[in-house]
Amino acid sequence: MEEARVRMKTDEYIVEMKNITKRFPGVVANDDVSISIKKGEVFAILGENGAGKSTLMSMLFGMYEPDAGEIFVRGEKVKIDSPNEAVRLDIGMVHQHFKLVENYTVSESIVLGIEPIKHLLGVIPYVDIKSANKAVQELSQRYGLEIEPTKKIEDLQVYARQRVEILKMLYREAEILIFDEPTAVLTPQEIDYLLGIIEKLRESGKTIILITHKLEEIKRVADRCAILNRGKLVDVLDVETTSTAEMARLMVGRDVLMEVDKPKAQFGEEVLIVENLFVEDMNHFAVVKDVSFSVRRGEIFAIAGVSGNGQVEVADAISGMLPIKSGKVSLNGRDITDLPVKERTDAGISYIPEDRQSMGLILDLSLAENLVLKSYHDAPYSRGEILNKDAFLQHAKEMIEAYDIRSGGGATGMVRQMSGGNQQKAIVGREIELGSDLMIFVQPTRGLDIGAITGIRERMIEQRAAGKAILLISLELDEIMAMADTIGVMYSGEMQKITSADDITSEEVGEYMMGVKHA
Amino acid sequence: MPDSNRRGNPLLRFFGNQRWQFITIPLVAILMSLITASIIVLILGKNPLTTFQSLLQGSGFIPKPNYANFKNVFTDFVDTVDAVTPMIFASLAVAVAFHAGLFNIGVSGQMLLSGFVATIVVGYSPLPAVLAKPLVIIIGIIVGALVGGLIGFLKYRFNINEVVAAIMLNYIIQYTISFFINTRYVDPVSRQSRVISSASRLTLLNVPYGDIRMRIPIAFVIAILLAIFLWFFFAKMKPGFEMKMVGLNQVASRYAGVRIGKTLIMAMMISGALAGLAGVSYYLGFFSSIQPNVLTSVGFDAIAVSLLGNSHPIGVIFSSWLITALSRGGTYMSSMVGIRYEIAALIVGLILLFSAMSQFIRQRINALISRSDRR
Ligand SMILES: Nc1ncnc2c1ncn2[C@@H]1O[C@H](COP(=O)(O)OP(=O)(O)OP(=O)(O)O)[C@@H](O)[C@H]1O
Ligand SMILES: [Mg+2]
Repeated sequence: MEEARVRMKTDEYIVEMKNITKRFPGVVANDDVSISIKKGEVFAILGENGAGKSTLMSMLFGMYEPDAGEIFVRGEKVKIDSPNEAVRLDIGMVHQHFKLVENYTVSESIVLGIEPIKHLLGVIPYVDIKSANKAVQELSQRYGLEIEPTKKIEDLQVYARQRVEILKMLYREAEILIFDEPTAVLTPQEIDYLLGIIEKLRESGKTIILITHKLEEIKRVADRCAILNRGKLVDVLDVETTSTAEMARLMVGRDVLMEVDKPKAQFGEEVLIVENLFVEDMNHFAVVKDVSFSVRRGEIFAIAGVSGNGQVEVADAISGMLPIKSGKVSLNGRDITDLPVKERTDAGISYIPEDRQSMGLILDLSLAENLVLKSYHDAPYSRGEILNKDAFLQHAKEMIEAYDIRSGGGATGMVRQMSGGNQQKAIVGREIELGSDLMIFVQPTRGLDIGAITGIRERMIEQRAAGKAILLISLELDEIMAMADTIGVMYSGEMQKITSADDITSEEVGEYMMGVKHA
Repeated sequence: MPDSNRRGNPLLRFFGNQRWQFITIPLVAILMSLITASIIVLILGKNPLTTFQSLLQGSGFIPKPNYANFKNVFTDFVDTVDAVTPMIFASLAVAVAFHAGLFNIGVSGQMLLSGFVATIVVGYSPLPAVLAKPLVIIIGIIVGALVGGLIGFLKYRFNINEVVAAIMLNYIIQYTISFFINTRYVDPVSRQSRVISSASRLTLLNVPYGDIRMRIPIAFVIAILLAIFLWFFFAKMKPGFEMKMVGLNQVASRYAGVRIGKTLIMAMMISGALAGLAGVSYYLGFFSSIQPNVLTSVGFDAIAVSLLGNSHPIGVIFSSWLITALSRGGTYMSSMVGIRYEIAALIVGLILLFSAMSQFIRQRINALISRSDRR
């Protein structure tokens, strides 16, 4: 370690952030943090939800200015007061929750702001979209980020949108690439591919800063790793010489158990019965085809599948967010096929949706309001038509405590200002507290730190023990294998296989997921 | 932990307090527009102070040097109250729609239709005041709510943009009513609709008080009470909370169990009902007849007034007041200071322009603060 430090000093640093402090009302997001990043390395940043990772990198990208401290790029002191300035310094960033204009095409989104301009009749300027398409095509081939330049953003899947963001950086010839939790939204296969891209980018001389909660990813691609805890820098480690357990311990500040204790299941009667379910998407394209299954009390039924094979639509259809084309859904013996959302919630459905920012939360309402988003109708949160805001706050205090939700602004702070992981914890907490007989969890641990993941999984086991029926939908095979009592695998809208978790290996699940093996 | 508001210079500290920015930001907008207006007045070679003074005198906020018979500063002031009443209703109408994420650009049309229906049903009837006045108000509410509800329904059921629907309805209402006024209800001398019975008028005229005679706008009290109620409605009541939810994020609201269609239609009905009240207090209060072929500008000004008041029901009272007072003071100003009436309109325009920029102003101020904090 000592040796490593000495060696590093002599290296050339492309980015140095010195004694950076950033405060938000009620919280010190970064407290005297100093990091130095070498040209051509992959530098990982690890830390609990709300530790200040996104904030630190947002300052490097000019979204916020530090309250104290200095930033050096290529040895020169700089003041990065806007993303434009960051781009001028060849810095690019892929945000945790990316924002693209829905009805732009891929290449329009990429060249936006620095479009190739041609002149009609030599005077009237117009955007030369043809050469933009060509440039994007070339760029995407060069880096293996295959994409159709003329496709609309709204028609793209998450991984493809992320590619657009990456290409956007590369088109601006960024040398320092910041990735904020890029793998949280991807499937395992996509993650694998992205990590390959990152390695390739490093080989071509780019410097990469990677924020992630997944230790094995750090192990695989990162050279060094900075660890933040509650705004403070704990340590900067050489990845090669540090074990993942050590990283986790430093990050949380204590030893972490990554396994949860799962006692044997006690199944009761059937809570959810889905029979011959057909669902269409907005374009009347069949996305769920003839799916039948049931979930019993005390059972965790997990649906595995590659992203986009109809799993999320099954959840949306059960919860009432998507209309059911045909088939029947019953809950505790009651036909709920055509009930509106509210009545299904009341009948006993909790639902953690895939998309926390556009479905699970109202970002511009306070944490307290979001925590009663489904229960404000009832006592003690309202009486008749009058809301009891004091009860909102009281409830929020309890929830913040119980689920370790970290919000700088406290109960009345806007959810938009909370860190991504803490937004997720708020949704999970709210849905569990509804105490419904059926709990639908879609990617419940997405974006959470290791400690929080264990916490949420323990809650799931607790609910199972309390006799709830749990429908878990996850893209992560590890999560499915760790949690499920029964596994269903979906491929291309159809349920390929349903079996007890004891009777199947993760390799076999993987094969069904790819549609290789037929039941 | 040091609170960022505790440092920096006192002025910035004042404007930087986020809790109070809903009031301080409009103040900045007003201040900036007054400064700009002063520069223009100076360029015209007049004194800005006397200009603003005469504006305030014209609208009854400070006394004029002399008055006609039965008049004093108080009667001027009450006249302004009479004029501000429809503006408050109309701006509340816009604000309610804003909260639900809707843009009610049809307030003027809704005003006209409810004013017209109330005029022919009650205004031309022999009903006594005790019946006529409440009836006018009820008709205003119902007609406005129906038109607003129709726009909300079209949006929900057929996904017709509310702006388009409202503009189309504005035209339909304007020309249909003009047709009926011109063919059946026109007064041949004034070329307007015949004047309504004084029993049905919401503004009492020539009420003696000491040695003055003044107007009393009954609907003003209703406007203030409604504004206070709406404040409570959005801060503390379930349907108000649901409207805010829907205005911020429809998908999440549906997920939370809110009936989107019901909420949108209800918001537009409330907005329309307020517009209807604006209509009756305008055509059967401030005025007593309807001029055919025109839509009043009140419903359009209300959009900017609502913005200036941050769509906050109480803020809207103040912004309505300010804008109406400035517009009304213009005539007196032009005769006193000798600059054209249009300068008053210009000042109003500037205020509205700057208030539309309030988000920008807020950002600049907050950026200034974080910069001064770092020193
Ligand atoms: N714009 C903002 N206004 C107020 N507080 C903020 C803002 N942005 C971040 N914070 C607060 O700063 C702290 C750090 O947040 P940050 O988003 O940097 O965390 P993070 O390490 O990226 O967490 P996660 O892993 O959950 O994404 C949090 O307590 C958060 O509430
Ligand atoms: Mg983050």
